[in-house]
Amino acid sequence: MISAFKSFADRLLGRGDATITVPSFDGALKPNQILEKAETIGQFEAPEDLATDGKALLIANGMTILRLDGTATTEVRRFDRIITALCCLPDGGIAVALDGREVQIFATPSASSAAATYSDPSMNAINALSPGSQGTLIATDGSTARPYRQWVHDLMERNHTGRVLVLDIASSRVRTIASGLSYAFGVCAAGDDFFVSESWRHRVIALNPDGSQRAVLDNLPVYPSRLSPAASGGFWLTAFAARTQLVEFVLRENAYRRRMMAEIEPEYWIAPKLKSGQSFLEPMQGAHIKTMGVVKPWAPPRSYGLVIRLNTSGVPLYALHSRVDGVNHGVVAAIEVDGSLFAIAKGPGRLLRMPLAMIEQELRA
Amino acid sequence: MSDTILALRKATKLYAGVPAIENVDFELRRGEIHALVGENGAGKSTLTKVMAGVVTLTSGTMEVDGVEAVPRTPLEARHLGIAMVFQENSLVPTMTVAQNLFLGQERFYNRLRGIYIAAQQFLQSLNFDVTPTATVGLLGAAKKQMVEIARAVLHEAKVIIFDEPTATLTPEEKRYFFDLVRDLKRRGVSIVFISHALEEALILADRITILRDGKHVVTDEAANFDRARIVQAMVGRDLSNTLYGSRKTSVRPAGARVLTVQNLKMAPMVKNNSLSVFAGQITGVFGLVGAGRTETFKVVAGVLKRDFFHGGEVILRGKPVRYRVPAPAVRAGIAYVTEDRKVEGFFETMSVARNIYLGLLAKLPGGRFFLSQREADKVGRIWVEKLKVRATGNDMKVVELSGGNQQKVVIGKSLVQDPDLIIFDEPTRGVDVGAIVEIHELIQRLADEGKAVVVISSYLPEVMALADRILVSRQGKVVEEFSALEATEEKIMYAAVH
Repeated sequence: MISAFKSFADRLLGRGDATITVPSFDGALKPNQILEKAETIGQFEAPEDLATDGKALLIANGMTILRLDGTATTEVRRFDRIITALCCLPDGGIAVALDGREVQIFATPSASSAAATYSDPSMNAINALSPGSQGTLIATDGSTARPYRQWVHDLMERNHTGRVLVLDIASSRVRTIASGLSYAFGVCAAGDDFFVSESWRHRVIALNPDGSQRAVLDNLPVYPSRLSPAASGGFWLTAFAARTQLVEFVLRENAYRRRMMAEIEPEYWIAPKLKSGQSFLEPMQGAHIKTMGVVKPWAPPRSYGLVIRLNTSGVPLYALHSRVDGVNHGVVAAIEVDGSLFAIAKGPGRLLRMPLAMIEQELRA
Repeated sequence: MSDTILALRKATKLYAGVPAIENVDFELRRGEIHALVGENGAGKSTLTKVMAGVVTLTSGTMEVDGVEAVPRTPLEARHLGIAMVFQENSLVPTMTVAQNLFLGQERFYNRLRGIYIAAQQFLQSLNFDVTPTATVGLLGAAKKQMVEIARAVLHEAKVIIFDEPTATLTPEEKRYFFDLVRDLKRRGVSIVFISHALEEALILADRITILRDGKHVVTDEAANFDRARIVQAMVGRDLSNTLYGSRKTSVRPAGARVLTVQNLKMAPMVKNNSLSVFAGQITGVFGLVGAGRTETFKVVAGVLKRDFFHGGEVILRGKPVRYRVPAPAVRAGIAYVTEDRKVEGFFETMSVARNIYLGLLAKLPGGRFFLSQREADKVGRIWVEKLKVRATGNDMKVVELSGGNQQKVVIGKSLVQDPDLIIFDEPTRGVDVGAIVEIHELIQRLADEGKAVVVISSYLPEVMALADRILVSRQGKVVEEFSALEATEEKIMYAAVH
């Protein structure tokens, strides 16, 4: 009774859980145009994830794995389902998640058949893979309620069924070390722990193999996604969309959200997007985001592009942005290869390249 | 007719046998702007108070238009054609702007409408955007200052004395003020102008007189001075390298996020304001008066309350907080060093030690049932030494200290609480250059120790000299952020105005 009354009071006054606020992009997250100005290496139909063995860059694009040679790509292998996650293993092999429901391991990227296959029936939306310690592979399963492609449904339903799995390559066992996460999307080894992105809670947590966890970076103004190690220590964290007060409001209005999901095409929901400005039916138009017909860079973002550089403790050092008036939005993967940072902007389907020297120069300016 | 309109010869004023000014010779020429410069306690205010009839000389003479004069009250001085705009506001807060303007000029029958119309016309002629029917107590510091200035002009004084007139004005308002002073000069009015902002003295004044420890040091044409010469004459040592020193070449890296303000609202001053403050860094907050900087941080510190409905969030170390009074904020490690020390900063008739001890008591949950004079003395002594407060003893009343030392007491009162987040609101307003250097060093030291420090200032060189990152506030919200390495005065001002 008391909690019902408190909940009503909070909704009325806009306090507690009903507070509709988002943090600002400031400090290390101060906006710039570095991601927007990045070199476009290629345009792909459905780029999803990146992996590297330290020399070559592998790109998961729809059902194929491509290798980048200079600016040209060659197909390494093809599957019958879409690839939802990809990583290189220390022994020269690769791990691939297919349709979020199965993980296959190959001794080499071009090996004729899989060395191991994990198709645990509980796997539903495997979206990131990372080598763990002692011959293990760590995977994040975003949601057990919705498949990977329906991530926006998962957000709108406010699910928190994400999991982190340990796949033991030797014994072919799958073990869950964390569950109940609000869309686990991205994992990377950090000393004895793993850093895991929890998208719907806008945070990165440090997860110990024994299951204990602590927040490393919380209250982000974005929905964080995949993590990868930086060559000089620390990590690259991508974010596929930015938070807005409007979406936060919709997430608190259950009846409105249910009706929106039932009656409107997902394309036009008031929800985070990987790209925007495609149709006049999209919400948030006109004066919200445009002045004299030009999109305001400081407008509430319907889609956004962001890569955050973290130090070894998870403290942000700087960020690379593609702002509201840009196109390199929906960044889902970034990886450092040979002095350059490669990133996938899933919104426009681009593979971007930013030399680290250029990033440093831009940040100094 | 002599060229000198006002002169003081061998002017000496003793307070309880201690000279505030001693054998000072001062001449004011007709139609000149004369800047009076010196550290706090140098005797500037006493000298001008003598001219304005607030105090009388112990020895020496004063001449107005070549005739010896001894004004015993401000009214007598006004009859001699001398008006003064005081550093402390001398307006009646419960009366309207128009009533304040015409205070002392009332007739047997006063028609309010007539007063308002006259005041409106007069304020418009000065290009002052102040409503004559507004109650003075509700006006901001800058507008109160405008009313003070307008009142002096209204009395058609031959000599107008301004005591720190620009301390509460924004850069835009300062420009207005400078134009006004130049306009007065064109009309033949002589101006005596006290300021701690040396650039203003150099820009505005025809001649500059420098006082030190109550004695006259030098008077010369402004063109013959530069900043270094003034500072050296004021303090007797060269501070030019330490005060608002050279451009920053490195900034401190951000530590953990200590404070996040999200979509904070406090009508009508704070509008959907969002910002973050990090440990181990100085976050400078610049903005014009009315930009909502002070109000935002007063909400953080529990001095003001945010909007009742949908007022936004304040997150301290990852947890949402809502302070309705300052005490829990103090206990949570937030210290707010006020911009208005005389009203909010200390109990002026209490001793230095007791004021600092009060800060410590505020930190303790429930306070103390028994107060210890010995503990108060000990705490007071420690902080007086730490902050180099120049007081004759621990039991010296705060009101007897100079502005810079009063500010150090206010800072000591906050630092004794060992806060994690320290918010300095205009930390060097009305403080002499020697104390400015010491306060700046203290602020830098706090950031080096890993504290999260916020410096709110309307003085750009101060923000640029201190801050590692600069937030620019406009119309109730932060609109731009600069690293100290990329910031220029032009960029910051552009963001603050446009």
